[in-house]
Amino acid sequence: MINGNISRTEIGLNRRSLLIWTLVLVVVILIYLGSFVFMGNLDFAELIEGFPDELITGMGMSAAMFEDVNLYHGGMVMLYGLLLASIYAMMLAGGMISRDVDLGTVEFLYTRPLSRTVIMLSKVFSFLVMIIFLWIAVYLVSTAIGIFWVAPGEYDLDAQFMVHLMGLLACLAAGGIAFAIAPLINRVQGSTSLAVGLGFFFFILNSVASMYEQLEFLRFLSIHYYADLSGAARGEPFVAGMIILPVIFIAGVVAGTVLLNRKEFPA
Amino acid sequence: MYAVETTQLTKYYGKTRGIAEVSMAVREGEVFGFIGPNGAGKTTTIRLLLNLLKPSSGEVKLFGKNIPRSGGKLYRRVGYVPSEVNYYPEMTGRELIEYARGFYTVSNNQWIEELVDRLQFDPDKKIRTYSHGNRKKLGIIQALLHKPQLLILDEPGTGLDPLIRMEMFKILEELNRFGVTVFFSTHILEEVERICHRIAMIKEGSMTYVGPVDELPGRDLRVVILKFAGREASEVALGKLGQAEEIFSRPGYYRVLSYLPVNELVAQLGRFNLDHLRITDPSLEEIFFDLYEPSARGGQKNND
Repeated sequence: MINGNISRTEIGLNRRSLLIWTLVLVVVILIYLGSFVFMGNLDFAELIEGFPDELITGMGMSAAMFEDVNLYHGGMVMLYGLLLASIYAMMLAGGMISRDVDLGTVEFLYTRPLSRTVIMLSKVFSFLVMIIFLWIAVYLVSTAIGIFWVAPGEYDLDAQFMVHLMGLLACLAAGGIAFAIAPLINRVQGSTSLAVGLGFFFFILNSVASMYEQLEFLRFLSIHYYADLSGAARGEPFVAGMIILPVIFIAGVVAGTVLLNRKEFPA
Repeated sequence: MYAVETTQLTKYYGKTRGIAEVSMAVREGEVFGFIGPNGAGKTTTIRLLLNLLKPSSGEVKLFGKNIPRSGGKLYRRVGYVPSEVNYYPEMTGRELIEYARGFYTVSNNQWIEELVDRLQFDPDKKIRTYSHGNRKKLGIIQALLHKPQLLILDEPGTGLDPLIRMEMFKILEELNRFGVTVFFSTHILEEVERICHRIAMIKEGSMTYVGPVDELPGRDLRVVILKFAGREASEVALGKLGQAEEIFSRPGYYRVLSYLPVNELVAQLGRFNLDHLRITDPSLEEIFFDLYEPSARGGQKNND
């Protein structure tokens, strides 16, 4: 069901963007997580107590975060890490499908002795490999910074493993959504715009829904809610989210495959 | 068995017609030309054969088998050269050839190298640096590398210089001698006359002719080149012969497309005082033009 030729080529074609995004995320984490060492000099916990509770919650913050490296990394650093990584995941997945129509390589790839299902699944496999690589890199860098620099002895490896695992699952879900929509988009530029838009949409939706009780139901529409990185950082990962996020990924891939099989490619 | 068979094949884009009830059968081992003006439906037909489009109605069969809805192994026997060749710009030509090769069981490097040599193609450059002609060469190589039993080519000669085009047709002829079926669309009628066993003509989405080149309607058309001796041409006299026009590059010379029977044509010409006369069979291009633009020609079109 997977064609290694396509998977290898897709990884090769997207190698540069993977390295750039991995580097960007690593640098963001390095700076953001690294800044925890300066927290002691500024009493952030006291400072944010003056803020309205809704705003603090909406921004994903709590006073405890500034005193506990695990909550800080899971609830704040990775909140933005997930925003960036989910945008990349959607750009990658959407681009893999839209690019062939945009470049005109449909005539090269889709006239080969392969079903469109195999083409889709081969691309999905490349996506999986690349997103897993990204999160392994992020996990290793976070762990190294946490253990050797920021908070030796306090950095909880188990809790942080869950934070990164939930981040990975959320990115897979984001990719699944992009795979579902991409067959409807014929331009890479279009799928990139959609990825950025959806990435911020999920992020803002989760923040706004956290601020107002009346809008709480909107959180169910955001992958950030199911990832619940703060919960994972507290050692209480959202178990339902661990099931729902892969289900979104699989459902997205299935929907995308159905659409791709029905898609027509006029000149 | 037919390599390609379409039955009442119809494709609409919404309410716009693509092709209507196109039926044709291409025999295995045949070189089949598919000709028609831009927008006639050639590319739509080819895309239906390749499963890039789904028919609105009708049927497509390759080697006697219906095309599976989502493509598949049937295309192991097919090679395709698109009219607009677009590949991954950051790959080199060689990388693309290897990518294409990976879809088939091709153990023979020698054949690929032979194609590269004969088409004078440099495979070690990035695709984004290739000219249109070089991309076309790459398109031909990637379509032929697995020695397909059916080659579908959309305007294969476009963008190639005359020497390479000649070489490409030599390769096609050689492959055809080994039983490869060649189905190609073109508007370069010289190519059709050169290698096609049969042709299909399509106009406004419908087939107007399927058969041997020699039996094309319009083969009874005569091309008369003449020059009157010592006096101005009479438009009335020329009009009796057929549609006439003065040859731009040879003032005083007229070119007449005539459907008059030979004896009547000779009798009419006998009444003129002529300085020059030449009567020839029409080229395929002239027939093509006459069939597609009868109103412009005003000739007595044979609608057989």
